[in-house]
Amino acid sequence: MGISLKWTRVARTQPRQGLRAGLRSMSPAQRREARWGLIFISPWLIGFTCFYLMPMIASLIFSTYSFKLSAPGDAHFVGLANWKRMLFHDSNVWEGLRVTFTFGLISLFIGMVSAFLLAVLLNSKHLLARNVFRTLFYAPTMVPLIAAIVIWSRVLNPQTGWINKLIDLFGIHAVGVTGLRWLDDPKLIYFAYTFIGLWGIGNAVLINLAGLQGVPTELYEAAEIDGASWLKRLWKITIPMVSPIIFYNLILNVVGLLQYFIVPWVLNQGSGYPEGTTRFYMVYFYKQAFTFQNMGYGAALAWLMFIVALIITTVLFTTGRSWVYYSSEER
Amino acid sequence: MRKARFLAIVVLLALLVPVVSHNNAQPVKAADRVQIRWFVGLGAGTDAPLIEAQNKLVEEFNASQDQIELVIEIIPNAQAYDALSTEIAAGNAPDIVGPMGIRGRASFPGVWMDLTPLIEANSYDLSDFDPALVDFYKVEGEGQLGIPFAVFPSFMLYNTALFDEAGLPYPPKAYGEPYVDADGVEHEWNTDTLRDIAMYLTVDANGNDATMDEFDPEDIVQFGYGNQFTDVRGRDTLFGSGNFVDADGNAVVPENWRAAEHWYHQAMWEDYFYPNGVYGNSELLGGPGGNWFGTGNIAMITIHSWFLGWGTDGLEGTWDFAPVPSYEGQVTAKLHADTFGIMDSTEHPDEAFAVLSYLLGDRAEDLTTLYNGMPARLSLQSTYIEHYVAQLTETYPDTDFASKNWDVVPAALAYPDNPNHEEGMPSFLEASARYGEYSQEADNNADYDVDAGLDSLQTDLQAIFDAVAN
Repeated sequence: MGISLKWTRVARTQPRQGLRAGLRSMSPAQRREARWGLIFISPWLIGFTCFYLMPMIASLIFSTYSFKLSAPGDAHFVGLANWKRMLFHDSNVWEGLRVTFTFGLISLFIGMVSAFLLAVLLNSKHLLARNVFRTLFYAPTMVPLIAAIVIWSRVLNPQTGWINKLIDLFGIHAVGVTGLRWLDDPKLIYFAYTFIGLWGIGNAVLINLAGLQGVPTELYEAAEIDGASWLKRLWKITIPMVSPIIFYNLILNVVGLLQYFIVPWVLNQGSGYPEGTTRFYMVYFYKQAFTFQNMGYGAALAWLMFIVALIITTVLFTTGRSWVYYSSEER
Repeated sequence: MRKARFLAIVVLLALLVPVVSHNNAQPVKAADRVQIRWFVGLGAGTDAPLIEAQNKLVEEFNASQDQIELVIEIIPNAQAYDALSTEIAAGNAPDIVGPMGIRGRASFPGVWMDLTPLIEANSYDLSDFDPALVDFYKVEGEGQLGIPFAVFPSFMLYNTALFDEAGLPYPPKAYGEPYVDADGVEHEWNTDTLRDIAMYLTVDANGNDATMDEFDPEDIVQFGYGNQFTDVRGRDTLFGSGNFVDADGNAVVPENWRAAEHWYHQAMWEDYFYPNGVYGNSELLGGPGGNWFGTGNIAMITIHSWFLGWGTDGLEGTWDFAPVPSYEGQVTAKLHADTFGIMDSTEHPDEAFAVLSYLLGDRAEDLTTLYNGMPARLSLQSTYIEHYVAQLTETYPDTDFASKNWDVVPAALAYPDNPNHEEGMPSFLEASARYGEYSQEADNNADYDVDAGLDSLQTDLQAIFDAVAN
């Protein structure tokens, strides 16, 4: 920690100096520490270069090639043809983005609110057997996702799934081909997928819970003395205090949604069923790159998603300054 | 500081050791031999009972010589296409792939080695095969991509217990025979007759069959007929051969297939004797990708010989063979034909061919029996049924296989589909994915417009084919 603070201070006080000049201005001890810092971080730097940076550069080059996986010898340079096709001629690209964002709006809201409220509940001193509940809510995340999806496809089967049978008990017609067809009805499909996603909500709950436990209790005590209601305490104290955690979850969820792939792939092998509502961007990317083996075009698609993700996270970080509260930050 | 430096060196070495030692960690034995990787997944061979037998075969091969180490990779069929694509892309392609059907080969155009030079160099004897079958694997511009291995005839299987329960006479025993109903009236064994008896065999939870007004399509517990473990092209072949691409490379929907799709849609949503998407994926029929016939909840299916044994296990032998019904007077019994291919990228073509020769020569009879296929070698065909029945009886002793109507199985070879329902198409995987989308929508929507769906399919396939041509 000491090393990074000193290094930061040097960088801030000498913003116009280059790295070499910065190093020259350091004392021998500081230089030695910096050198050791670099040595210790070098395995990660090497890994990043080999497994992220170089493949990214390679994929950028691939995106200018017509490159079939099964015939790498026939690869040839096509300039910006893949990018032109992607941006101006392939409606599946924009359809994929539209589907991803539509699902994202529903899933992100439900997922984040549910995770936060569950964490509040699991943090409540009035809840009996809190540890048992915490374990129960986290346990599903240990089930492999593929297995969970296969199980859910059976649970949500309109004819024999127990969800519909349960709903039927309340007098709502759910079982059967004319019942609630969770995975077949375009109006229900996103809720079904969100529901499957909630199965693995344990991680987000855990992170929220850790944030909630870090809120100083004296703030609540003072508010209670002032007569603040539970809702007011939640809105005025809890949410601002855990806003960095909410922000962290938001970033993770947004990136996860932009990469949404496994559920539609396992359930429909990327067919887009029903009526194209599950033709997510990453599904289309995977089909192009790996199923149809169009690696050049796939690389262009991957880069477009990278750019979209970069824009969204930049916007989030920019706007985050106005609503995320860091108690240790100097203002 | 020295301690810190020493510590850093130790940490770095600890990180490097696994990387550096990777190559040295190989068994000495493997380093002495040429490794040949055998990929199983594009055809038969991925069902649980077969895995152990294939592993044993690999062990026996490795013990029989000291030049080649054969390594087997068995990938479930649903994932095998993606797995092989990924291996090819990563420059980590296997050496041998098989058994694989026509679909498996057509899914990876341009990756197979022309075996002609190896056949000539090794003086491999092809005289034991039907020349037409050898030519079947000769692809224009690519060469001899396979050596015949096994064929898998198709037939109908019917559940005798469900027929007995309904009081219906069994289907005919041979091609050309009519169906004789309970009143002794003869009916041509065709898709209309199939529909009629399948409706009688479709039953709801209250015991009403699909011909009755009281029948409840929301609560079906037994279906009459299903064309199991196949796709649109496979199921439509009941109505005659065809393909979605014509001789000029244009997209088409053959008229007999259009009629077939109307028949299936009506069967699912009006006559109710064929499982629609909801029932087809429900626990009633074994869940998604389940074995419909094996559940005992469907009376008749069309299937290939690779299904026997594991597919009928659990039915206590209450089933038998029947001929495939005709459509407009013509019988078409779709055929699967499997082979093994060597990948063009292999660095050891001679060793790969040695393994291929072993699998298709010395072990051909064992393997075809194992995969439930009829040997492509003419010298092995006469004893095929006998050996097959013996092997099935040994593996599944609860079933009296010898008492079944086996004559129907080889008889189906007289009615093969030509063009084959697994025949290639331009941009095969993309085209297959597109017609898969069609069937998923049609099979799950009662009010689906079949004609509009097929027209849209043709338009989209044409666009895919045009993209390849351009």
